Amino acid sequence: MTILNDPVSAKLGNRQQLSYIASQAADARLNVELETEGMTLNIGPQHPATHGTLRIIARLDGEQVVWAEPSCGYMHRGYEKLTEVRTFPQVTSLINRIDWLGSFANEVPFILAAEKLMNVEAPPRAQWIRTILFELSRIANVSLFLGDLGVQMGAITPVFLAFRDREYVLNLIESATGGRFHPNFDRIGGLKDDLPAGWIDETKVVMKKLRNFCDEIETLLFGNEIFQSRTRGIGVIPRDVALQYGLSGANLRASGVDWDLRRDQTIPLAYDKVDFKVWTHPDGDSFARCWIRLQETREATKIVDQLLDGIPSGPVMAKVPKIIKVPEGEAWVSTENPLGEMGYYVVSRGDLGPFRVKIRSASFNNISITPWLLRGVYVPDIITILASLYFILGDIDR
Amino acid sequence: MAQVPGFIKGLGITFGTMMRTFKNGSNTVQYPHEKEAPPIRARGVIALHQDNCTSCMLCSRSCPDWCIYIEAHKELAPPRREGGKPRQVNLLDRFDIDYALCMYCGICVEVCPFDALFWSPEYEYSEPNITDMLHDKTKLSEWMETVPEAPALEVGADKKKK
Repeated sequence: MTILNDPVSAKLGNRQQLSYIASQAADARLNVELETEGMTLNIGPQHPATHGTLRIIARLDGEQVVWAEPSCGYMHRGYEKLTEVRTFPQVTSLINRIDWLGSFANEVPFILAAEKLMNVEAPPRAQWIRTILFELSRIANVSLFLGDLGVQMGAITPVFLAFRDREYVLNLIESATGGRFHPNFDRIGGLKDDLPAGWIDETKVVMKKLRNFCDEIETLLFGNEIFQSRTRGIGVIPRDVALQYGLSGANLRASGVDWDLRRDQTIPLAYDKVDFKVWTHPDGDSFARCWIRLQETREATKIVDQLLDGIPSGPVMAKVPKIIKVPEGEAWVSTENPLGEMGYYVVSRGDLGPFRVKIRSASFNNISITPWLLRGVYVPDIITILASLYFILGDIDR
Repeated sequence: MAQVPGFIKGLGITFGTMMRTFKNGSNTVQYPHEKEAPPIRARGVIALHQDNCTSCMLCSRSCPDWCIYIEAHKELAPPRREGGKPRQVNLLDRFDIDYALCMYCGICVEVCPFDALFWSPEYEYSEPNITDMLHDKTKLSEWMETVPEAPALEVGADKKKK
């Protein structure tokens, strides 16, 4: 068995891996008489728990996973190649579709990279509205995760609450940008339009509702004993392993790494104007990952509230030429998206469109840990661990 | 006092939600009978103001998935002032938008320099046959009636129109 020789898992004293080793030792006598045959279980590509088309190939020994590997690419849409044959304004309408639950957050790093190349900076009002919409898309994204989490473990009610309150956020995004899921609102040099009248007051009411929703979910789901026993101590990612596998976002912070790109880098967004707490959790298990996301949703509503009070007045569009030609150069900008670090490496050769775009999406790196993480877990825990890792298939396959 | 088990508290939340639904009514609407009005800016369907279109092809060229088809011919129109030369105008023969391909990004509306394209929040035009999703210029012009006025802007916005 490879796991017994694995120095990492032996050193870590990881609970699930230790229990696996113990059970192996206990079963050793039984296995002499009852020879168990290994079995390969395919989860997906079409599976209700994978929200998308991710296929997990798991080699089972009884109820336990010996070896597992994610097989992605079933929904590959070739965005990196598609962007090469589009002009810069057209690219934003495409990259909306990468992480479809928080689409506005996809546009921002690309636009910032293009602005960096053009040496343009959006006016302050545009930056503030960008930050507000960025956080709203985070709330829309993570609130669905909080509802979906219950469904993966057999609790039906949270998903209805999540869809109810997410609808308010989507309505806000729609009334400001025109698109519920694909805003396409960001432009090089600013925003397409200003906010409609009455939007700020509406948003304040909705943020109150969302905080109430977080409290409800906390009581309903996080305080539930069944939920706790399904998630506590399951799928533990220690700090150094999380760093080795390049995790980002809430998955990394749940392992105790205090790293948040909103706070740790200076980008032309309004994050330095607000106070917010970056939550970390020392445990690194499934519960910690879910809990971090819950706290982040709360924190996002507070960020939005603070930003709404101080939107500076002025234009939302800097002076940019009508036909956008980005000068020759290369730029890398990454932001803290709902799923983790998302970045674009844009190479321009002075044409109407980018020469090459490398997209670093968070989910692709986050699921790279699954072979390590799923080893030794029980079959029902696969679903819990995958749910708590929280990936979006469009973000994996791009 | 012994601690209340977590699932009992959870049932309390569910019960509270139920009572609120009884009191305030449900959040959902029964779609074909009741309808929710989409926001003014909602990108539902693109309307065409034919008189403003000069068939400059900017929208067709900037469309990311090339779903706008334009054909036009030139014609002589009477001069604006008496004694002037007759003007040359472009007349639209064909202006089709294939909504089966359109991804509602709104770039065509934005690039139009003569204000010939508008967004309308109308959304009920699905068809059983995919070829019927191709709207020609008469159908696109009919959507003009549903185009709302642009909403007022939030406090602090720059009044100057782009």
